[in-house]
Parts: sequence; structure tokens; C-alpha cells
Amino acid sequence: MGKTAELLPGTLDMLILKAVSLKPLHGYGVLLRIRQISKDALEIPQGSLYPALYRLEHDDLIAAEWGQSENNRRAKYYRLTAAGRRRLRDETAGWNRLASAIAAALNTTSEEV
Amino acid sequence: MFKRLRSLFRVLTRRRDFEDGMTEELRFHIEQYADDLVQSGMSPEKAARQARMEFGSLESAKGDCREERGLHLFDEFRRELSYAVRLLRKTPGFTATALLTLAVCLGANLTIFAVIDSVLLRPLPFPDSNRLMTIFNTYPKAGVERDGSSLTNYYERRGHIPAFTSLAIYSYGTEIIGEPGSTEREQTMRVSPDFFTTLGLGPVIGRTFTEEETTSQTDHVAILSDAFWRQRYNADPNVIGKQIRVNSVPRTVIGVLPPAFRFLSSDARVFLPLASRPEDRTPLRRHSGGNVIQMIARLKPDATLQQAQSQLDAQNAALEVDDPQAKMIADAGFRSLVVSLQADHVAAIRPTLLLLQAGAIALLLIGAVNLVNLLLVRASGRVKELAVRQALGASRGYVVSEVVVETTLLTLAGGLLGLAVGYGGIHLLRVLGADRLPLGSRIAFDMRLALVSLVTAVIMGIVFAAPVAWFNLRRHLGNALQSESRGGTSGRAPQFLRHSFVVSQIALAFMLLAGAGLLGLSLQRVMAVSPGFQSDHILTGQILLPWADYSDVARLAFIEKLLDNVSHLPGVLSAGVVNNVPFSGHNGKSAANVAGHVLRPGESARGHYSYGVAGDYFRAMGFSLRAGRFLTVDDSRRSERVCVVDEDFARYYWPNASAIGQRLWDGSEAGKDAEAFTVVGVVGGVKQAGLTEDEAQGAIYYPYAFRIDASFFVGARTSLPPESLGLGLQKVVRQIDPDIPVNDLRSMETRIADSLVARRSPALLAGLFSCIALLLTAVGTYGVLSYAVARRRREIGLRMALGAQPGQIRSQFFYLSLRLLAGGTALGFIGAWLTGQAMQAVLFHVPALNLAILAGAMCVMGLVSLAACLLPSHRAARISPMDALAEE
Repeated sequence: MGKTAELLPGTLDMLILKAVSLKPLHGYGVLLRIRQISKDALEIPQGSLYPALYRLEHDDLIAAEWGQSENNRRAKYYRLTAAGRRRLRDETAGWNRLASAIAAALNTTSEEV
Repeated sequence: MFKRLRSLFRVLTRRRDFEDGMTEELRFHIEQYADDLVQSGMSPEKAARQARMEFGSLESAKGDCREERGLHLFDEFRRELSYAVRLLRKTPGFTATALLTLAVCLGANLTIFAVIDSVLLRPLPFPDSNRLMTIFNTYPKAGVERDGSSLTNYYERRGHIPAFTSLAIYSYGTEIIGEPGSTEREQTMRVSPDFFTTLGLGPVIGRTFTEEETTSQTDHVAILSDAFWRQRYNADPNVIGKQIRVNSVPRTVIGVLPPAFRFLSSDARVFLPLASRPEDRTPLRRHSGGNVIQMIARLKPDATLQQAQSQLDAQNAALEVDDPQAKMIADAGFRSLVVSLQADHVAAIRPTLLLLQAGAIALLLIGAVNLVNLLLVRASGRVKELAVRQALGASRGYVVSEVVVETTLLTLAGGLLGLAVGYGGIHLLRVLGADRLPLGSRIAFDMRLALVSLVTAVIMGIVFAAPVAWFNLRRHLGNALQSESRGGTSGRAPQFLRHSFVVSQIALAFMLLAGAGLLGLSLQRVMAVSPGFQSDHILTGQILLPWADYSDVARLAFIEKLLDNVSHLPGVLSAGVVNNVPFSGHNGKSAANVAGHVLRPGESARGHYSYGVAGDYFRAMGFSLRAGRFLTVDDSRRSERVCVVDEDFARYYWPNASAIGQRLWDGSEAGKDAEAFTVVGVVGGVKQAGLTEDEAQGAIYYPYAFRIDASFFVGARTSLPPESLGLGLQKVVRQIDPDIPVNDLRSMETRIADSLVARRSPALLAGLFSCIALLLTAVGTYGVLSYAVARRRREIGLRMALGAQPGQIRSQFFYLSLRLLAGGTALGFIGAWLTGQAMQAVLFHVPALNLAILAGAMCVMGLVSLAACLLPSHRAARISPMDALAEE
């Protein structure tokens, strides 16, 4: 597990929103999708995935619906709501600002001071 | 926020779906993961184990999910609730006592509050009813506290008092309504045209009265109440213009009132214009109100009662300058008072109601103290359990919320039972005559009251929880765990709390007992007052003869025939007629001028009860003769001007001389010689308006021909039970005129008893309250003492093992209860004195501190307390040292 990074607090919600924004997914699917889109760099503790999903559903950022899985089993699928889409956009912008600011700060060399 | 609430609500209503879905979803996840592991070459068993291990604790994930949805609070609440229910079911004795106490105490409060609410609190059913005032004339120095208003007052005041937007007059009456052969006697009101505008609520169909309809020639119109319109006209929308016969005169229906229209406590169903002649409105008639006509007014939105009062005073002063009776009315201390209409209407009953509510609250306090004590005792039985749970990590918040849930559950259940008790209580009040109170017909059990009592119950639950939670949290964990028995040394503070609760309980019960005693004594003193005549075996009833059908001559002929026929009924000994019998509620006073009497400086002309009598009135009513003779049937036939006065009248005007042969005039002015009445007899004084009437105003009885009214009372003395004469009397009247009914048929004794309702019912209720209070106090004392005995079981056992006698043990607890009793009674004494002071307004000839009552209350209190301590101290004395020490 040396190659996986610790999740920063508050980023799990963002990742879930991103994952389900591409295509409705069930919980396990969300896990796989995050692993996939982060190129296996992010490992999500499985126990904390569902509380996060329930919280987002409670806040009406994602909506759940029962459907059929690829292997024909009943599964609960999550998709992004309009409010969730807005939230994802805001958080992405916010994250990018923060990340570039921190990156700039960390890349500062002594000459630039 | 709203979305979250909706989501929470959705989940709560489908909790099972939520749980099933969650389980299925998590299982799907783990199985799917295991499948993937199998595909990557793992054996199925190992994959399943690996998947479960990596997922971590299923239950903790589920718990987290529930928490995200806000469900954990509900789950905890539900757990606490079922725990509380289990606890309460485990101690059925405690639970039943608590529920019963709460039900009775809350029910009693609900019942009394229902009355207070409808009589004192709820506004009259008119817009801005707090601006409605009543105005009445008072002549305190003439012994006339209240004389209504005169027609002259009305015509002089309306439009001239700037603080009022409008002003109106009305009078109550009863009329015979309907076509010949199907007449009925109805309650009516005669009102001035601006009556409905003043109230702000008028006819919904048709129109109100006009100024032109206020003369006796043009007043042939009527407005109907909604109920009358529905019953008699089948709610006919075209009723306007139809004819209605009132006292056999046809009138035109011009309006129908809305269903909600109800003026004060009146049951009037037909409204007529208050018509008068111009000569009735002159300054000479300014002070001849006679308490028949009453005045109401509506204050301007920005005006105050004080402004209206000073404007009225100024007008009265200006008018008095050239008033022909200026001296007389100034001597009489004349004033016109402005009072809020509702406050005035309920003024007489207000102190009694407030007193009863105070009694009910005292009862609730006693019950509450009882419950808190019982809860504390119970809590000390669970000290160890709580200590263990706290040691295992139960938070302080959890301990508190558990107590709150339990006590609130208890009080809420008690409150629900209290609703049932209150519902019954309101019915009981009806039986006791509450609907005869002013505005009493409004008393009803409604949602508002139910809500108020349930909210009270919840608040009580939270309040009860405070001392118990304090008790649970204050003890040191270690202590409680170390002490082996529940009898381990507990602090002095809880014991002091319990004891002071019992003391305050005894004090409150003592106050209630003393208060009820005072009311009872007052009632007894009122009942001991002689009405001044032999009130047994007399039947009385009121008869109204319409002016249109009966001239004065026909009226006298009717009365003569009636009396003749009645006296031939079986059992009738004598019969007579009078304008108003005593205790009829219509006893007004008027002035008389006594020949040769010169007003002393500062003395005012006095109002006297003045009646016309016919037949053998005095003998029928059992009056006593002091001097001279009664007026008899012969006086009714002759037109000689004679009269009879009562002893109070005679004593006032002729203290040193015989009244017989003296002369007087009816009215405040001395008239011609030929119009003077000669006194031919003096009769005993009679309580006219009620047994509590203290000031003897004096009464004059004229032959009926000189004092004819539209209606009169007939009274008959019989050797049979008086009620049995009722049918006979009605039949006799119907034989003379089939359209004339007899109204208000009651025996004299019933009238007197009815006049005491406002005293008897409160005394009964107060007695009931104090009985409950005694019972609760007994339960409270018993509870605390039994607990003290149980707590000190080991100590007692030890002492007895060392040689203490059972008698010593017994007296130890006996002294404890004696100390509690002494403390409680000492406080109660002070309370009883204050209660007595507060009750003076409703007491009759009873001082605030009555030694007999206090001694009696002390005896009862002592007996109850001692009885309550007997069993526990007896039990203490019988503790076996072996058993007590061997235990635990």
C-alpha cells in the first residue's frame, strides 16, 4: 500500500460526487471508480464510504434508486442531483484554487523571496 | 434544513425499509468484492473472509449511516422510552399512585381553569370587545348601589361623550310570542337602534332598528335570533317582512342575527326596539332608571376608560345645575360609573373563581411534591445500578435524559388521564350549577384546554426530572459502589429535601382545609339566616299579561279570578299576588316620601323595596304581623289608599312612635293630600334579594291596583308538597286565558336554595379539594416514613440486637412524623391566615382567623399524619435483628 495516499479530510465527499457524476453507480462501484480515476493512488476505507453516501443523500446532493447490477443482482444506484452538480463544480474550483496556491507556495525557492 | 427534515421524516415513516435496504446494500458490497477477489484467483472461502475483514465492522458502519441520517437520537429516545416503560411496569404500585395523583390534580385544575377561561379570560364574542363598557348610576348614600340608566340619560349622553364612538341602552324581558293557541313565552331584549352597532355585530339578514321605530306607535318590528329563525321559520331566507305576534300585537320581522350572536348571558331570542314616549325622556325622569334599563358604550380606539369617566362626570355636573331633583341626588351621592362590560358582568363571581383556582393549584403542588418525593425514594433504590452504568461509561447527559424521558412519560400519561377527569369535572360543575354563572353556558371542554393541560403535564415532567437528575448525578461513584447495601450512608441533603417536601405538603393541605372550613362555616352562617317569613309549603310562579290584551281593569279582574280559583285547589290554604316575590332576582328599590319626615343634614332620601300586593299575600307567604293588620282581599277590591310597611321601614322613620296611621307618598315628592297612603299595618322584615342582604332597606306594600306591572308573581301556601300544586296552578291559569303560560314555577324553598348556589358549590368543591389534599398528604407522609424505616433497617436491627426496645424504635419514628406535622402546621397557620384574608370578599360574617376552624383543621391534619405514620413505625418496631443483619 506504499503507493496509496491518505485522504485529506473532506475530500471523500468530493470524490464520491465526482465518481457518480460520470455515471450512476452502486456503492461498490463508487469505490472501484475512485480507485480507477485516481489511478489507484487513493484508497478509501470501505467502512467510511457508506456513511458518506448516506450523508450526501440526506443532503440531497445525490439520489438513490434500486436497480439491476451487471450480474443481475439488486443494487442501490446513486446519481448526482442538480444540487450535487453545483456542489461538485464549486468544490472542484475551490480545490483547484487551493491546490495551485499550495503548490505555488511549496515550490517557492529562496531566490524568489 | 427543510430537505433534511423531509428526508428524516421519510426514513422514520419507513424505518423497516431503510434498515432492510441498508443491510442489502452492504451485503451486496461485500459479496461483490468477494466475487472480484475470487476472479483474481482466491478461493471462495478465503475471499469471503478477506472481503468481510477489509470492510471492517458491519454494525459500526450501519451505526454511522444511521447517525448521518439523524436516526441515532430517535433510536436512543426509543430505547430510553422502552426502558422507562419497563421500569414503570416493574413498580405498578408506584406507577398507579403517580398516575392517579396526576390525573386528579391535573383534572381538578383543568376543570376550574375551564370555568376561569370561559368566564374571565375569553373575550365576549364581539369585535374589539375589550372596548365595550357599561355605564350605570349609583346612589350609595340612598342605599342604591346600582340603578342602571334612565331613558333621559341615554338621550342626553349619546353623541355628547367624545370618548365613546357609540352608546346604546337595552332591557331584558319576557314576552308571549306566537299566534293565539300556539303561544310561547320567550326571553327577549328591548334595545335602542345603536345597540347592534355598539356591539359591532348586527343582523346578517335584513337591517337593524331605526330611530323612527323608537316610539310606542311605530315600534311594530322585531329582529330574530338565529336559533329562533331556524326553529320557528325553518331558516326561511324570505322571512323579512313576515308577521310575528308579540304579546298579541303583530310586528314585522326586519332582521335575523348571526348564529354567534349572544349578548352576555342572555338567552334572548327576539329583539324589539326599546320604545318610549317623549315625556319619558325629560330631565324629570333622569333619575328614574330603577335598574331596568342598562347602558353600554364602545370606547374610541384611542380613548381610555378614565377619559370617558371624567367626560361623563363633567356632563353630570353640568346637568345637575338646573336639575329639579339636584339636592336629592347630591345627598344620595349620585355618580355614573363606566366599567368594562365583561368585568362588570362577572365581577360577583370573579373572587370565588380565583379562589378555587388557587385551591386547585395548591392541590397540584401537593400532588407534585408527593410525586417528586416518591421519585426520589425510587431513585435512591437505584443508586447502585446507576453508579455501575456511569462507571461503564453512561454520560451525564444520558443519565439526565433518561430521567427526563421517564418523568415526562409519567406526567404525560397522567395528563391524558387528567383530561378524562377534567371532562368529568366539567360535567360535575354543570350539575353544581356552573351554567347558571354569568357566561357559564360558554364552559366547555375544548382543544385549547386539552392542549394547555398536556403542555402543563410535559412541563411538570421536566420540572420533576430536575431533583431526581440532581440526586442521580451528585453521588460519588466510588461511594455508591463501595457501600454494600442501599442503606449505605446517603447524604443529609436528599433527606432534608424529602422532609421539607412533606412539611410543605402538610402546610398546603392545612391551608386548603382551613379555607374549605371557612367557606363551609360561611355557608352555614348564611343558611342560618332567617328569610323573615315561613318559606316552607309555598309555590310561586310568574305570570305576564300583555298590555295589549289587558287593561288595568281586566288585569285586576284576572287576578281576582285567578286567586279565587287557586284558593279552591285542593290543599291550598291561602294565595296572593305581588309584583316580585323575595328571591325572584327582580327586586328593585324606589323612593317614598314620608309625611312629616324632614331630611337631616347629610341624610339622603332612601330607596325602599316597593310592591303591590293582592289577595292574601302576607298570609300565603307566612309574613309575621308586628302591628295593625295585613292588607287583605278586601283592600284589593276597595280603592282606599292604604299600605303596609315592614318593621325596618317603621323603625327608620318613626323610631319612637307607632307607624299605624302615618301617611306617605309613592315617589320621592310629597303629593296631594288625597294621594297619600295611610299605614295600616307593620310586618316583619324580609330578606328580599338574598339571605346575605345585610342592610335593611325597608319595604312598602301597596294594594296591587296602585302598582300595576306587566307581570306579577302568584304565591300559594298549601298543606301538600308545594311542587304538587304546579299542574293545578297552570291549569287554572289556562282556564282563564289559554294563551297565558306560568313561568318560573318554583317553591319558595327552592328559590332560597338556588340563591345559595354561588356559595354552596364552591364550598363543596373546596371540601372535595381538601379531601384529596388530605389523602395525598397521607400518601406522602407514609411514603417518606416507610422509606426512612427501610433505609435504616440495618441500624435498627443493630440497635435492637444491642438491647433497644421496640417501643423506643416506634417512638423514634413517631417523633419524626410529629416534627414534620409541627413544622407543616406552623407554616400552614400562616398560610391559613393569609388565605382567610384573601377570602374575605366571599365570606359572610366569618373572620379570617377562626379558632374553631383552625383547631378542627389541626385535628384532622394530625389524625391523618399520625395514621400515615402508624404502619411504618409499627413495621420498624417489628424488625427482627437477625434478619436485618443477615441480609445482604
